[in-house]
Amino acid sequence: MLELNGITKTFGGIHAVEDVTMSVAPGEVRGLIGPNGAGKTTLVNLISGLLTHSAGSLLLDSEPLDHLRAHERAARGVARTFQNLRVFPSLSVAQNIDVARYSGRGAEIVEAAIPEFGLSDKLNQNAGSLAYGQLRRLEIVRALALNPRVLMLDEPAAGMNEQETEALGRSLTWVRTHSDSAILVIDHDLKFIMSLCDKITVLNMGAIIAEGAPEEITKNQEVIDAYLGETDERAA
Amino acid sequence: MILNPSQKRGLVGAAILAAVLITIGLVVTYFGSRYQLRLVYSAYVNLLVVLAMQVFMGNARLTNLSHSAFMGIGAYVAAICVTPVTVKSISLPDAPWGLNAFSLDPVSSALLAIAITAVLALIVGLFVVRLTGSGVTIFSLAVLVIVHSVFLYRTDIFKGNQAFFGIPQVFSLTSIVILSVFVVFIVRLFRESRWGIQLRACADDEVGAAAMGVNIRRLRLIAWVLSAILLAVAGIAYAYFLGTISARPFYFNHVFLTLAMLILGGMRTVTGAVLGTLLISFGLECVRWLETGPVLLGIDLPEVLGLSGIALGTVIVLTMALRPGGIMGDQEIEDLVLKKQE
Repeated sequence: MLELNGITKTFGGIHAVEDVTMSVAPGEVRGLIGPNGAGKTTLVNLISGLLTHSAGSLLLDSEPLDHLRAHERAARGVARTFQNLRVFPSLSVAQNIDVARYSGRGAEIVEAAIPEFGLSDKLNQNAGSLAYGQLRRLEIVRALALNPRVLMLDEPAAGMNEQETEALGRSLTWVRTHSDSAILVIDHDLKFIMSLCDKITVLNMGAIIAEGAPEEITKNQEVIDAYLGETDERAA
Repeated sequence: MILNPSQKRGLVGAAILAAVLITIGLVVTYFGSRYQLRLVYSAYVNLLVVLAMQVFMGNARLTNLSHSAFMGIGAYVAAICVTPVTVKSISLPDAPWGLNAFSLDPVSSALLAIAITAVLALIVGLFVVRLTGSGVTIFSLAVLVIVHSVFLYRTDIFKGNQAFFGIPQVFSLTSIVILSVFVVFIVRLFRESRWGIQLRACADDEVGAAAMGVNIRRLRLIAWVLSAILLAVAGIAYAYFLGTISARPFYFNHVFLTLAMLILGGMRTVTGAVLGTLLISFGLECVRWLETGPVLLGIDLPEVLGLSGIALGTVIVLTMALRPGGIMGDQEIEDLVLKKQE
């Protein structure tokens, strides 16, 4: 269980994340949506330890994470992918996965995840030579090699076409059936999020404005005003 | 010890490099003149230095310019320990702390030299790993200057630019060929080890590596200290063959020479380190011969002093401009010989 209690992050007086309290249970898939600049990625950076919060506390299975550095959190099973890909281009695909495997808690799921994410025949290729969609999938498999207790996916479908997004959705459904990790997904593709997530948290200006099942969220007036209305216009 | 797949593949590459090094050693032992033997010996000492540099610079991809200083520390500590008391009473009459009143056997001296170099490297390394990019370069340059100044001005211990003589000749060309083969395997296995792979991941993307559980500072410290240990080994091999050492060989000219070797071959690979060392060692001999103004094909060439310095500088300039990854880039020798990984 990942628990955030009053997590706040200020950058020189500006509240990027303000008093966020939420929890994600093992096996749950939680969507995190909101307009650009809402603080979604900042929140993921705070949980993974790349940023330190200004106030509040973070717990993973009742153990505090607050004073652990990013690599220590990863070793305890806090795994993530990045909006702007951060694979290791000079290493092979297998070595990319090994980097995480060496520091993780041992993961059997990764062996099965490699074919599931279509990387079996790419293992010995340099990661730098992979296509964009493959790189996105590699990041997810690499994160699984940490045997995550929390898996955070920052816009996993960004830049993917409809078919690729559908395939990704199927693979992520596979992950949730094969892992008891709590999964937190950020994406702007609402169809993707709605079909994948048990529950959705909506952030705006750094604060939670709504939380609930996908169908409740789509009917929430505040969410429509802050975010959904805006996307609908953009889509139109 | 269980090897990972990268390490198993690395063994093939290391074995090929070892075969080349052994062949050169055998040819020179049986057919070379005494002068050529000394030349090849010093090339192999430089090879040990360049391999040691590769451990830190190639995997962490940070520039260290203090390597000759750590080599010097290894050489001097071993020399002070192994030189007989009778010689030291003449050469170091004013040495403090009873340094001229004892002597050890070559193996103990070497082990002590390695241990002291490792401890000093650990202390320096604790600062190095807090720095990034150009910070490491500048810091390591300052370390080089400090160590050189100590060698130069504590003449009661190190004799400065005068020769520290009387070191027993323990090593032969055979010893250094065996040693270099051993070090090639160590360096290659380190590159493909868990630590080496994670270090290269940090060099590719520090944030990504931290998020994958990599303790960047700890890994850089491991590579830094291992590099210093191998540099000490190179220094010991130097002292144990030549019989005399002084402060000058452990300063800027040597830093620059070995840097050119690593850059030309390609610092990211062990093959690059070996290739660069062999090419520059051989090339520099040709340049030195040209420098003296020989008669070539009936033409009396003029004497050109300083040609070797120009040549080394040109090698670095051209490599950086035309092929920044060096000759080998990211390729190890087995990538050329074996089929590309399937």
